[in-house]
Amino acid sequence: MENSSLNRKFDRILALENAGKLKASSGNRALSKFYNNRLAVFGLIVFSIILLTAVFAPLLTSHDPLKINLRNIAQSPSWEHWFGTDRTGRDVFSRVLYGGRISILVGLGSALMAAVIGVAIGAYTGFKGGWIDVIALRISEIFMSFPQIILVLMLVSIAGQSLFNLIFIFVLTGWGAMYRMTRARMLSLREEEYVQALQSFGLSTATICYKHILPNALGPIMVNITLSTAAFILAEAGLSFLGLGVPLNLPTWGNILNVAQEIRVLQNFWWMWLPVGLVISLFVLSVNFIGDGLRDATDPSQQG
Amino acid sequence: MLTYVIRRILILIPMLLIISFLVYWGLELTPGDAVSHLINPEAAGRMSAEQLNDLRESYGLNKSFIERYGIWLINVLQGNFGHSLAGGVPIADIFLDRLPATLELSFVALFFSTVMGSILGTISALKRGSAVDSGLTVVGMLGVSIPELFFGLVALLIFALELGWLPVGGRLLPSYTSYWDHVPNIVLPALVLSLMMTAGVMRYSRSSMLDALSREFITTARSKGLPEWRINLLHGFRVALTPVVVLIGFRLPVLIGGTVIIEQVFQWPGIGNEFISSVRGADYPLVMMIALFSVFAVLLASLIIDVLTALIDPRVRLS
Repeated sequence: MENSSLNRKFDRILALENAGKLKASSGNRALSKFYNNRLAVFGLIVFSIILLTAVFAPLLTSHDPLKINLRNIAQSPSWEHWFGTDRTGRDVFSRVLYGGRISILVGLGSALMAAVIGVAIGAYTGFKGGWIDVIALRISEIFMSFPQIILVLMLVSIAGQSLFNLIFIFVLTGWGAMYRMTRARMLSLREEEYVQALQSFGLSTATICYKHILPNALGPIMVNITLSTAAFILAEAGLSFLGLGVPLNLPTWGNILNVAQEIRVLQNFWWMWLPVGLVISLFVLSVNFIGDGLRDATDPSQQG
Repeated sequence: MLTYVIRRILILIPMLLIISFLVYWGLELTPGDAVSHLINPEAAGRMSAEQLNDLRESYGLNKSFIERYGIWLINVLQGNFGHSLAGGVPIADIFLDRLPATLELSFVALFFSTVMGSILGTISALKRGSAVDSGLTVVGMLGVSIPELFFGLVALLIFALELGWLPVGGRLLPSYTSYWDHVPNIVLPALVLSLMMTAGVMRYSRSSMLDALSREFITTARSKGLPEWRINLLHGFRVALTPVVVLIGFRLPVLIGGTVIIEQVFQWPGIGNEFISSVRGADYPLVMMIALFSVFAVLLASLIIDVLTALIDPRVRLS
């Protein structure tokens, strides 16, 4: 039965082809595969919307996210204040928009920097092998044997709290995973025949590994960047919620959520924390969908 | 088998030494030393430089860095973890006081996420490609995307504040009479903590089950004419479950990270809660000792998991 349905499917495709209606697939195969994944496209749309609202925050709201207005405390949502105001009269909607700028900067920025460092080290040491590989592997093992939040909080307590320190600490704790993944790809790719050919041409190690092998490992690297962006945004929210992330004077998603620690706020002023919680969840969800879509699209074993 | 275990332990020791060295180094980088923490600033101001120096000498603070590290390490190995700056309580006492609460919460969450995750993952694998499967995939995605603290806050609002079914936080109420009295207290934090892990286990057990079902012994079982449920449960599920149980060890870092935040949301008096207050209060000796302890727990868990895997699967030992 399954065969006959498959036959019918192929008959249809054949008919389309004969009628000249089937366009030869143009463009990147991975890209078209990504666009056929509904969840990934949904993720990309939501991601773009939230990113654009954060970037163009000044155009979307006329309220200053930092301006305290004591005559306008804890107002429920209205036409003037879409998400209401917080306990010092600041507009929550504009805080969510401006907070997105810093939260996304922390998440995406840390993930990209961790990727650059991890990939650069992993590609080189993985290709070269020998003692340099062993040393890099041991260092990454040390970093990765700490539970991430413990290591981050420990470093925060040593280095102090600031936006720069937080990004620095995230990069320091996040490069290991990226390094491991790149190294693993490198170990299998360096055995390929084209690499031997390049070596026999006398190309330098750096040229071979960064220019010729690395592009073949790009798929998993991009997947890893999206996934660690999601993880860093969650980590920032968690740390700032605890009051130990980005300093409280800067609006970030985690800092806005911070007020919900008080039972009174949690119960009576839902607009101060619920919308921002939903925005974080949606954003992280969209990033995860994009990551999953990229994984399916770039995985050669699933090429259809 | 024994040589395998010994070899694994031998790899672990230099690792722990390096990490303890880094932690001690971190401790040295923090402002102040034992003397400046023990004496209040006014008294220190009245003391002469010589007196302060004598005091430092008596605590061994004038020795070289390596020597001090050696002394510290020997103390730690003997169970003398130093003192918390807040009140000068021995850190070992704090551990003994707080650890049971964290272990209790972790075990309940671990148990719940393993059971739920493997059941949902198996269902998902058996109904591959169906609406149930894609629905569960999206739910799993939600599980790893919603910040657990946000999920915790919403759960707290609905079940504790609005409906009043469960207590708002804490572990043991002052009026408790038996151990079971605090079961309502653990329900919310354990459920929220297991949410994220359930999603992970579900994903893993789905692919593990799919893998098991495609093996040849399943075809054999089917050709013997066994009923489908027997094939799935007795042959597929059993094989698929082994890696899922092994995964428990790898979830430990996630679990520790989760308890730090969830204990804060629900005011659960565990190590995570203590860790946050020590970071806030710049109680460096306590911060470092908890960090060291968590690394030790993670490495020990991975050792146990490796040994267990080697016991189950003889191929691991040989490679």
